[in-house]
Amino acid sequence: MSHTEHDAPILRTSPRRMAKMLIIIIGIQVVGGVLFFSHYDFWNSYLPIAGRPVVHNEPGNGPGPVTGKTVNVSLKFVESPDFKTYAFNALSGSDQNPEIHANVGDKIVFDVTNAGKSFHAFAVTDSKEGPGPAIEGTTIGSADNPMKPGAKGTATFVPAKAGEYYYICAVPGHRELGMEGKIEVSEASSAGAASGATVAPTGNKVEFSLSFVMSADFKDYAFNALAGQTGHNPDIKVKSGDTVTIHIKNSSKSFHSFGVVTDPEDPNSVVWNSAFKSADNPMKPGESGDVTFVAGAPGSYHYICTVPGHADLGMNGNFIVE
Amino acid sequence: MGHDTSEWVFVGIVIAILIYVGVDSWNIEKLLEDIPADAETIKVTGQQWFWSFEHADGTKEISTLHLVKGHAYKFEIYAKDVMHSFNIPDWVVFQDAVPGRINYVWFSPDQTGEFPIQCREYCGLLHYNMRGSLVVEDGKS
Amino acid sequence: MVLELQKPRPVWQIMFSTHHTDVGYLYTVTSLAFLFMAGVLAMIIRTHLFFPGEGVLISDSVTSNRIFTVHGSTMLFLFALPFAAGIGNYLVPIMVRYKDMAYPKLNAVAFWMVPVGGALVWLGFSDTTWVAYAPYSIIRAPGPAADMWIFGMKILGISSILSSINFIVTILKCKHPDLPLRRVPLFAWSMLTVSLMTVVAMPTFAAALVMMLTDRLGVSGFFNPAMGGDPIAYLHLFWFTFHPEVYIFLLPAIGMMYEIIPRFSRKPLFSQGSGVFAFVMLGLIGFASWGHHMFSTGMDFTTKTVFMIGTLAAVPASGMHVFNFLATMWGARIRFDAPMKFMVGGIALFFSAGAGGVLNTAMPLDFITHGTYWVVGHMHLFLTGTIAFGFVGMMYYIFPLFTGRMYSEKWASVQFILMMWGTVQVFFTQHILGLEGMARRIYDYPTDFTSWTQLNQIATVGAWILGASFVIFLAQLIYYSAKGKEANMVDPFNLGGKYYYPYQAKTPHHTGY
Repeated sequence: MSHTEHDAPILRTSPRRMAKMLIIIIGIQVVGGVLFFSHYDFWNSYLPIAGRPVVHNEPGNGPGPVTGKTVNVSLKFVESPDFKTYAFNALSGSDQNPEIHANVGDKIVFDVTNAGKSFHAFAVTDSKEGPGPAIEGTTIGSADNPMKPGAKGTATFVPAKAGEYYYICAVPGHRELGMEGKIEVSEASSAGAASGATVAPTGNKVEFSLSFVMSADFKDYAFNALAGQTGHNPDIKVKSGDTVTIHIKNSSKSFHSFGVVTDPEDPNSVVWNSAFKSADNPMKPGESGDVTFVAGAPGSYHYICTVPGHADLGMNGNFIVE
Repeated sequence: MGHDTSEWVFVGIVIAILIYVGVDSWNIEKLLEDIPADAETIKVTGQQWFWSFEHADGTKEISTLHLVKGHAYKFEIYAKDVMHSFNIPDWVVFQDAVPGRINYVWFSPDQTGEFPIQCREYCGLLHYNMRGSLVVEDGKS
Repeated sequence: MVLELQKPRPVWQIMFSTHHTDVGYLYTVTSLAFLFMAGVLAMIIRTHLFFPGEGVLISDSVTSNRIFTVHGSTMLFLFALPFAAGIGNYLVPIMVRYKDMAYPKLNAVAFWMVPVGGALVWLGFSDTTWVAYAPYSIIRAPGPAADMWIFGMKILGISSILSSINFIVTILKCKHPDLPLRRVPLFAWSMLTVSLMTVVAMPTFAAALVMMLTDRLGVSGFFNPAMGGDPIAYLHLFWFTFHPEVYIFLLPAIGMMYEIIPRFSRKPLFSQGSGVFAFVMLGLIGFASWGHHMFSTGMDFTTKTVFMIGTLAAVPASGMHVFNFLATMWGARIRFDAPMKFMVGGIALFFSAGAGGVLNTAMPLDFITHGTYWVVGHMHLFLTGTIAFGFVGMMYYIFPLFTGRMYSEKWASVQFILMMWGTVQVFFTQHILGLEGMARRIYDYPTDFTSWTQLNQIATVGAWILGASFVIFLAQLIYYSAKGKEANMVDPFNLGGKYYYPYQAKTPHHTGY
């Protein structure tokens, strides 16, 4: 064994060069960490395609009644110079993300230009959050094949059902950054109670305060007070056209979200953009916020917690529009 | 072989213990699997993030389940969205709720009282809060 | 730190080298970095669970879910497997008396996939839990985090398979012709068994990952009941891989114990033949027990019985290893240096983990323990108690080979005491918590159960002690690799035997084995 030992000096890396190696490796980790933390919410921002709610009645793009009327809308994708704000047409002010009003059967023609420096894609959807699903025929480009700066395109949307739709940028994240505008489609003729149809605001403003409460054993759910106590699930009465502001607080230990719906069994039937947060992005305990919307066609609606099951557990009150 | 005898003895003891565990488990499991014919069926549905129940006569309950002492109950376990696990720890009632599948477990409470129900398979945001209550009462249901 | 092949060379040359000592070293350093990162996550979870009530340290349950997912995935795939691969890379060619691994470039490629996979997992920070059961991971787990996790796992799985191929060919085909296979050291045998198991088991998980991804995209319905699939199919595919995988995690640590225990007992190993037999037997029988993770999914009685028998059948193999170690130490003049302390502590905890496991596998008892903190305690006793103890002990033993210096025996003893105490305090307590019914993977627990609060607090204090021991470990590694006393490379521990010696051996048959 002697002739194999220490014939040549055993060379090793010096601690200095080991430190250099660690600085490179740890430096990369720090960069990665910054990337991660600055996008913490994005990594969990959208549902997988398989999990998106299936739309049973495709409301868009006919075959439905056609009024023969054409609404032309000109939209441009714009970005702020620091790329923090994205919008349609203008970055702020009354021209930003113009709201479109139309009736069932109108042909809404979108002329879309990419006036920004980044890539975008256009779509009309009825989902309240996320980049889709788009209604067939209303897309220009897609997240995987977007519109380049300067590109132009046209899309047509003929709504077959009344309700709230949104025109958005279909690139994931852009809607959340501000590229979203509302399309309110009302019935050609007024329908029965609780249609959920929108009306123009009358200017009358009303406010209410609601808070999500739960019993300490997590069994009873309610608004404002638990069952059996005064103030439990108060009735809310407003007039059609009122601008309603609801101050909402989550006074419970769990997660909730708010919405006025036509059908308390269906958390997706939120009308008039009255949703505050949603089941996928709920209010944390202690969080509070406001939502303002215009009460639409008269009828008996419900205000509920839109987290599935919570309405059944007690978070369901009457919202009556006269 | 002389050098190894101690090892054979050791392995023999281990195997004997394991056989005992195996046979005893087999016997007990056989009892658990044998659902009595007169057990009343309770449908249990697990969904994000609460339990709902339906008695044999159609009565529905959410989160709190009322049963009668001394009766045998068979739980028919459904899931609506993702996997959950229906568990009443005090009574060792435990089976997964798997969407697309019905699982069965039975028990017969012999004490009255209130016992917690919990979910024991990770199901997302409020898994930790997917709790309910079993209330076992005396007398007529 | 690393043995250089020639005059000192630039750092990037070390990083991209294909020599087995360099690659082994890179694996080891990377895996230790991930160990500490995942350890921080564990400390966050345990500290948060000290008090019941939301928002103690972690603001909401989504963050908590993401933290334990990444903690699990990192510890298993970015620490346990790469560390074993690292030590294996370093020692196996020496043990089979060959100059390098069979495929050096493949070796380096397999290593570099580990940081990439790790980056995907960490940047995505998904919330599916490390097992990612369907249908949650398919219809609910938000993207892109879950998709990044899938891709990260895929890359790590491929890295595992490639390095396994390397080990198999090196040990079977490249070993020195004068060295019969039965006399190859048991650590190399453990790496061989583990590599063969990986090659058989891992592709199943790779398939399951692809199926999960296409399911998430909505183009297939393997595990999605809405599209005609069956979530239980995912569980079968997953556990078919991951039950053998837990043996893959374990066996290198046992192999490392075989390196250290005979040497520090200054007595020959009781029976090389038993060790080989036990490794091979576990490698085969390990495939017959995956269903014990699924006892509550509604399997029929016969199936459950078969899996119970399969699980129990693997226990004697582990028992043989324990017996081997005890018989080797019996009547020996043991030198309880740090490596030996950790290995003996590891065996003691291995035995208790195994005993708890037998309880799990008894079918009806599984209904008490499945999905509770009992399982958390049980698996961590294996992972921390056996595998981490074994790895730490090996790290101390191989410290002179890596750095040419000795660590501080005193601080290593302090670390040992804290680590042993901390491990017992956290994980034994968690067994009790599980029996009390506390479910796992929960962000918060109700205050109605005072025993839960107390036990959680005991466990958290134990976790802090364990964390302190790892801080000492980290400090040791850094400080003494630069400032430690120069080691006597012939016999650094003064045992009277032969230490490993460097690649410069020109006549391999004098390696001393």
